[in-house]
Amino acid sequence: MKIASPRSGRMAGFAVRAALAAAALAMAPAMAQPIKIGIITDKVGPAKPYAEPVTAGAVFAAKELNAKGGVLGRQVELLIEDDQARPDISATAARKLVEAGATFILSLSLTPSTQQVQTVTLEARTPQLTPSNSGDTLTTQIDNPYFWQTGPLGSTQIATLLAYAANRSFKRVALVGENSDLGQLTNRSFKAGLEKSGVQIVAEEVVPRGSTTADPQMQKVRAAKPDAIFLTGVTTPENVLILRSYRQLGLKMPLLGNFNLSVPQTAVVAKGLLDGVVFVDAFDPAKPEARRFIEAYKKENGVEPYNLNGYGYDGLMLVADAIKRAGGTDKEKVRAAMQATQGYVGVLARWDRPTASPPASARASTATAWWCGCTKATGRARSSSRARSDAGAGTS
Amino acid sequence: MTDLLELLVSAAASGCIYGLVALAYLLITRPTGIINFGVGEWAMVAACGAYVALSRIELPYAVSIALVAVLMVAVGWLTERLAVRPLVVRGAPPLAPVLALLGMLVVFRELVSLGFGPDPQPVPPAFGFGRLELGLLAGSYQSFFIIAIAAAVFAGAWYFFERTLTGRSFEAVALDRRAAALMGINLSRVTALSFSAGAVVAGLAGVLVAPNVSAHYLMGMPLAIQGFTALVIGGATRVEGALLGGLILAFAEQFTVRYAPVPPGLAMGVPLVLLIAFLLVRPAGLLRPREARA
Repeated sequence: MKIASPRSGRMAGFAVRAALAAAALAMAPAMAQPIKIGIITDKVGPAKPYAEPVTAGAVFAAKELNAKGGVLGRQVELLIEDDQARPDISATAARKLVEAGATFILSLSLTPSTQQVQTVTLEARTPQLTPSNSGDTLTTQIDNPYFWQTGPLGSTQIATLLAYAANRSFKRVALVGENSDLGQLTNRSFKAGLEKSGVQIVAEEVVPRGSTTADPQMQKVRAAKPDAIFLTGVTTPENVLILRSYRQLGLKMPLLGNFNLSVPQTAVVAKGLLDGVVFVDAFDPAKPEARRFIEAYKKENGVEPYNLNGYGYDGLMLVADAIKRAGGTDKEKVRAAMQATQGYVGVLARWDRPTASPPASARASTATAWWCGCTKATGRARSSSRARSDAGAGTS
Repeated sequence: MTDLLELLVSAAASGCIYGLVALAYLLITRPTGIINFGVGEWAMVAACGAYVALSRIELPYAVSIALVAVLMVAVGWLTERLAVRPLVVRGAPPLAPVLALLGMLVVFRELVSLGFGPDPQPVPPAFGFGRLELGLLAGSYQSFFIIAIAAAVFAGAWYFFERTLTGRSFEAVALDRRAAALMGINLSRVTALSFSAGAVVAGLAGVLVAPNVSAHYLMGMPLAIQGFTALVIGGATRVEGALLGGLILAFAEQFTVRYAPVPPGLAMGVPLVLLIAFLLVRPAGLLRPREARA
């Protein structure tokens, strides 16, 4: 806001009167306090490569909402806390947000951090959503009626990949991943999904974070002669090591990856290594909502958004939608409105109230637009073969 | 058999990287007694420099390496000037510089994370990606390149310490700082040189390993740990010990993963268990320090 510095007394009087009039006019909306939404993100820790773009998406969503007059005539104010992807700090950050009057908390850090925040949101009866965490355990370990998850669940990813691979009848497969928390969790989800569908896992290899090669692990995979390899690693450097060894050692069996391969930076670092590799993604730039989002985001930020930005955007918009339907910031009403979300069309997917039981797992919302694609030699163009996975999506 | 021969090349290349990081530690710790855990971060800074030179500006490989080496001399020299010398001059206890250097580690990591963002960045290898078969041995071009460069660096370092007067002055400082100073050796010059040389060697390790692991803000810490382990195995006193330690660690890691019948999650712990057992048998490391010679 600019402060006027009038040069003459007459001018000063005019300025004061004008200011008073403006203040009176602005009184009604100014009386309305902003709606505070807390964000717990990771600015320095290992989740930063994912948390930052998701946060940028949420920040953009808030800007867009405020430019259109906010929610229920009130501006949206984001309170952003950095937990360094450390669960011990996450809980403190969550308490700080609750005390600062946050109506809702968006968890954008690591899955274990989000888990820890749940202990606070359950106790403080504050609604919490993670739009980006993929750990399946978030909705199964704590029965928290104030928590929702719309992120790319590991179980959804493997269900999508299996739907894609249905006509390829893989009997024996290998699982290759890394040892980060989320990588291990994804590995577990994939393993459970594969075992459930009767596929035999003949090799299971882990490339530790910070490794300088994945050759010994991929040699073991080669020796096991699987029909296909499922990649469960979520950290890009280790995924690139795996992809490089896969090529270097002359492996030919199909490679199917989790959604982390769809992050554009993977294609930059693993140049030429992703050709023919199949992976899941929920972001379809051809969809009208995604197209509108891409254009608006690009106009505001000067760079083209990608799937992770979309997760943050959809997360904040889902929260805003719930607050709008609740008619205010009463946390119980917002909770009820969030649980009743039906047919909200976001950038990534249409979000529906989950119908599965038991209630704990039902709070993982169903995204019905997952699809598989594989990169071709040029850029990130995907093949036209797509597989949608509706079955079991989002319910762990 | 193919597996074994492929793995020999792969493990030797990783071992050379660990060895270079161990050498970076050694170059500093020998004359100064200071352990700089920030060597991994130096490798990261160099890898990011190589990313800018090779991927962004697309300079020729040799020019890029030379520029990165100049950058690393400056980084090492500045680190010594800013974080070490003021403490030594004020008579701080020996652990103070170690702590200050840990602080520098965080500074470097955050600078890179702010400047380059959190995403890993591509650094191209010297001769492109490809598989080279040398008789029975097979590996990537970059693996053979790493082995060749590391061999040259270690031969050079050995020659420097054993055959040149400046190198002997480093050795003299290592043996007895006070006596060396009394003999007219400029201690602060040796310290500054050791930091610069350490930064160049660590940087070289970073540039060589970056085509595999990509340049990113978290790449330093694992290298620092692997290099330190190699240093301890090798005995922390001699150049050849650093290389030997690196090779032993890499072979233990990769052969355990490939051949030991242990679950994948446990395989990464095996080399460390080996290290503990090894230190129980040989607490001073593989190569013992050289005695003072007349």
